[in-house]
Amino acid sequence: MRPLDALAKVCGDVRPGEPAEGVLGVEPALVAAPENVTEAADVMRVAAENGLAVVPRGAETRLDWGAPPERCDLLVDTHRLDGLIEHAAGDLVAKAEAGLPMERLAEKLAERDQRLALDVPLPGSTVGGTIATGAAGPLRSLYGTPRSLVIGLTIVRADGQVARSGGKVVKNVAGYDLGRLFSGSFGTLGLIVDATFRLHPVPAATAYVVCAVSGPEDAHDAVQTVLHCAVAPSAVEYIGPSGTVAVLLEGVPDGVAARARQTADLLGENAEISGTAPDGWGRYPDGTTLIDISAPPPALRDLLTLLGPDIAVTWSGSGHGHVGLPAESTPDEVADVLGRLRDALGRHRGGAVVRYTPEEVRGEIDLWGPVPALALMRRVKDQFDPDHRLSPGRFAGGI
Amino acid sequence: MGSEDDLPNLLSDCVHCGFCLPTCPTYVLWGEEMDSPRGRIHLMQQHADGTPLSGPMVEHFDRCLGCMACVTSCPSGVQYDRLIEMTRADVEREHPRSLKERAIRELVFQLFPYRRRLRALRGPLRAYQKSGLERLVRRSGVLERISPSVAAMERLAPPLGRAPKLPERVAARGERRATVGMLTGCVQAEFFPGVNAATARVLALEGCDVVIPRDQGCCGALSMHSGREDEARAFARRTIQMFEAVDVIVVNSAGCGSAMKEYQALLADDPAWSGRADALSAKTRDFAEFLAALGPRAKREPVPVTVAYHDACHLAHAQGIRSQPRALLAAIPELTVREIAEPEICCGSAGTYNLFQPEAAGELGDRKAVNVDATGAELLVAANPGCSMQIATALRRRGAGIAIAHTAQVLDASLRGLGRDALVARDS
Amino acid sequence: MEARLAVLAARLEELLGAGRVITDPVRLRTYECDGLTNHRSTPAVVVLPDTAEQIAGIVRECAAAGTPYVARGSGTGLSGGALPRADGVLIVTSRMRRILEIDIPGQRAVVEPGVVNLDVTRAVRPHGYYFAPDPSSQQICSVGGNVAENSGGAHCLKYGFTAHHVLSCEVVTPDGEIVELPADGPGYDLLGVFVGAEGTLGITTKITVRLTRLPETVQTLLAAFGSIEAGGGAVSAIIGAGVVPAAIEMMDALSIEAAEAAVRCEYPPGAGAVLIVELDGPEAEVAAQFTEVERLCRDAGAFEIRIAADDEERALIWKGRKSAFAAVGRISPAYIVQDGVIPRTALPQVLAQIDALSAESGVRVANVFHAGDGNLHPLVLFDDAEPGAEERAEAVSGAILDLCIEHGGSITGEHGVGVDKSRYMPRMFTDTDLDTMQMVRCGFDPDGLCNPGKVFPTPRLCGEVPGVRRGAHPYEGKADLF
Repeated sequence: MRPLDALAKVCGDVRPGEPAEGVLGVEPALVAAPENVTEAADVMRVAAENGLAVVPRGAETRLDWGAPPERCDLLVDTHRLDGLIEHAAGDLVAKAEAGLPMERLAEKLAERDQRLALDVPLPGSTVGGTIATGAAGPLRSLYGTPRSLVIGLTIVRADGQVARSGGKVVKNVAGYDLGRLFSGSFGTLGLIVDATFRLHPVPAATAYVVCAVSGPEDAHDAVQTVLHCAVAPSAVEYIGPSGTVAVLLEGVPDGVAARARQTADLLGENAEISGTAPDGWGRYPDGTTLIDISAPPPALRDLLTLLGPDIAVTWSGSGHGHVGLPAESTPDEVADVLGRLRDALGRHRGGAVVRYTPEEVRGEIDLWGPVPALALMRRVKDQFDPDHRLSPGRFAGGI
Repeated sequence: MGSEDDLPNLLSDCVHCGFCLPTCPTYVLWGEEMDSPRGRIHLMQQHADGTPLSGPMVEHFDRCLGCMACVTSCPSGVQYDRLIEMTRADVEREHPRSLKERAIRELVFQLFPYRRRLRALRGPLRAYQKSGLERLVRRSGVLERISPSVAAMERLAPPLGRAPKLPERVAARGERRATVGMLTGCVQAEFFPGVNAATARVLALEGCDVVIPRDQGCCGALSMHSGREDEARAFARRTIQMFEAVDVIVVNSAGCGSAMKEYQALLADDPAWSGRADALSAKTRDFAEFLAALGPRAKREPVPVTVAYHDACHLAHAQGIRSQPRALLAAIPELTVREIAEPEICCGSAGTYNLFQPEAAGELGDRKAVNVDATGAELLVAANPGCSMQIATALRRRGAGIAIAHTAQVLDASLRGLGRDALVARDS
Repeated sequence: MEARLAVLAARLEELLGAGRVITDPVRLRTYECDGLTNHRSTPAVVVLPDTAEQIAGIVRECAAAGTPYVARGSGTGLSGGALPRADGVLIVTSRMRRILEIDIPGQRAVVEPGVVNLDVTRAVRPHGYYFAPDPSSQQICSVGGNVAENSGGAHCLKYGFTAHHVLSCEVVTPDGEIVELPADGPGYDLLGVFVGAEGTLGITTKITVRLTRLPETVQTLLAAFGSIEAGGGAVSAIIGAGVVPAAIEMMDALSIEAAEAAVRCEYPPGAGAVLIVELDGPEAEVAAQFTEVERLCRDAGAFEIRIAADDEERALIWKGRKSAFAAVGRISPAYIVQDGVIPRTALPQVLAQIDALSAESGVRVANVFHAGDGNLHPLVLFDDAEPGAEERAEAVSGAILDLCIEHGGSITGEHGVGVDKSRYMPRMFTDTDLDTMQMVRCGFDPDGLCNPGKVFPTPRLCGEVPGVRRGAHPYEGKADLF
């Protein structure tokens, strides 16, 4: 039987791929959109039986991240897996299918004044894609990233077996936490089909304190002032090239008002209190090259110094950020910035990873930089995907 | 000690939680289970289950300082104090020691509990230090261990003859509030007579008639804490007799006070004495404990000095007395009390410990000295002569000097308006 | 000792020096268990290394000899996670206790695995910071142990577990390599799975922890209720109101009685349940929320509310709760400390079921729990002198875990699976789930020498991966057969 027919027997939505659906130019032979876990498992099993290379796809918001797959026989599309399986509001827990868009999840949770405390830098992105790419925004400073908020995960393995880890209680140390392992694994270990999240109440009040800073020194001082004071911000962001330090406060109305004033006083005369987020908040910086950086707070000064005043950057107080390079950057220029970032951030035990960049640049640079424990990663990959059929080559070290 | 029968019960109280570990000085030093209270209890259990005492086992029991910090930290109420004393008695009974060990132990136990022998040693010791004779006798080993300690006492104690000889009775100043007996101790009396004098004066100034029996001997603390039960009982009986006439006994040395509060258990199996022992334990009070309960009456004059207060183990852990001495000191105008980091960790003096386990004692002394030094205080106050000597010696090794005093001496200086010079001008 | 192990011990002594290798049987026995005493096994050799390089050397020696090894910190674990192997080496990290770096501007510190949890906080408190995970044993448990167990504590309701406060670990892998596993590096989040793997994936030798700013203020109240149900109602109301307290703890009448006997905590007499609620954060925030919590407690039927005016009064409120485990020893000769989790809203139902279990079996159960996150610590009481009593208690204890699973909860919220609960794992997970978790294990430790026999009831044979393309060639290592 042809793979298409075999797949069609187990899944209601199977078709040949189209050129426009290429993953970084690699056109999929087939596209399957399972409707539930059973279909997803069957699709993966059939793919295994036929030796198909599989790339999972959510809303395509980050399909251009990383390296192109070595091959792509089958795109597993999750758009039909889009249910909110359970919202246990009393337990502050929700279970959602992988294809559910984050905004729709947020709407449903908001009905009970709750939220998944993750920013959505790219509108439309799905629950599964968010986990697979470890995506987060400014709120990461207080609430963490998907790895901190996923408390249960269901995946389909390369061989089509369904496996769960964690559960639906926040406090749980039974067994290995595959939720954390799968966060940011870019579809190379298995297909994420649903996830259970820890939720937070929607705060009764929020305020932003926004302060224009002039230069790296000033930015560093402003950030340090806020980090070491007692106002307990939910997020502290630097946004460039505008040169803004912005602080998010969440809580009860009286508390937020008082803390906003306190924060504004600390930041000095440039600080303003606002009800809305400043421009660029929670979005990736503009550009055709996006570099994900790990830069602890003391590295901010060096980071901004080396980037200069014109390069777009966002950085969170937790020590993570993004740099955007403009379309006109030559491969050499990208390589140069990247090299200098890795040197400077390496001194602070940080690093820089290229998320996306034009094809002509991609060939000229090392997207990942040094990958500690790469041998161990390969061995884990070999266990989960011995035939290297899951998003082959998309990930660090060619995994 | 109480009946052997309850050893299994006492052992089974331990749930192996490990909360005692960070407070145990030897665990802090070496990080080894066998040298922690939990590990020692495990060894005791092994012994109780039939494993004979072996060299390694005894080594770990011997290394216990008996500081009782573990008793304070135990959430399950394990009576480690009783366990280690029973175990030490077992060791004394069952375990043959080497000739050298025996020699050192005999010398210590024939010397320290006896004031007259201690006194006889003082003069020659000073001469010995000065004459350079030291080098000649170093080979003996025994003296090498004893001499640094006694020499330290000698160096730190005020010159002989200056302390007034205490009368048998000191009358209260003003209206009498209480009549108290006073234990003078062995080391305290011989090397720190000034502490006893200060104690008596402060008590009198606070309205107490102080009774100081002339022929009082050793309270038996050293013997009791080393498993020499019979010797300890003999000392205890004598002390009980000596103080039967008074209602309260004030003790200014932490080790002695804690031993006297334990007479009850020591003589529990002796029908003729158990009742009398109970009575003595019940009326024994530490100096600070007694004064804090009595409440201040005499006027405190300023003593502008910065004090680091050291918790003697036998005061803080064995008797639970921590806040009273601090409160007494803090109530003195212009005096600042500073806390020493790791207050629960023993300084390594621990009665005879610095004689039998000099290396561990030295390491612990150094650790304490670092913490004391970090306070920046001018005066170290402790309620045990051994602690003061130990810490001052360790500080000296670091090239840092500090004056030492007993709580009683600080109060004495305040009550008599002597100011700071009476405390910190001394050689330090 | 077996000759093979004697040879290994001699090699280890060469590596570490005399005094760092323990082979005396009396000494070895003191290491026979961790904080859980009903599993005991005397290790063949105990080693006390000082450096990561030494641990790497030990692991390589063990790997070469095919000898299993177990890492141990302070030995306070409550699931037997550090239970030694009679045929193996116990690697004790209690001498590796240096705080290597304190980086306040970066809000992090680097510590060795043997550093005591509370010592991190002690070291950084003068700077206005602390290390947030606060297991009850924080005064002695080691940070390395916290990493292995993903330790929580009373305050993890708001602040999360160890996994959320570890930024990076240096790890000795089962093949004796020293590697760094950062939380935020390129590639897989191996740190994420390493933390909480109960020492089965390697031994951490250096930990970079996140430091948390000390809250501006802390407010604590004790509310007494007539019944557990009323107390549970208050918890639901507080969470429902969108308040995230730092901690919500509950005790039932029996555990109150025990605490009273042990530490005279003087909780309101006649209480069927007491609730301890702690809020922390900025003053303006806490003040408003605290008033609301107080009102919610009253509305839920609290007949007495005490508010701590200072640290001393706060300590008094916590004293009863913190002593509860050990205190139960005062009302029962022996007891089992259980650790299970249920969805918080199932609390009243599950407690009623536990009551029924207790009534049915005649086994008394005291309940102490982290009510905010549904983490139950039923204390199952028995008299070890009575024949069959322990078995009955075990049965009740196991039945409680079944209740947790039935309600969609977990068999352990913080004590870990260890050796004690591995047999319950198949009740919570399918064979495939467990098999999948063990794929990670096989990636890290194909020979299964690193803390074997923990977490999983049956080891996965790592060779059984269909179509392995990488790793050892099938004919490698078989030369000696021909």
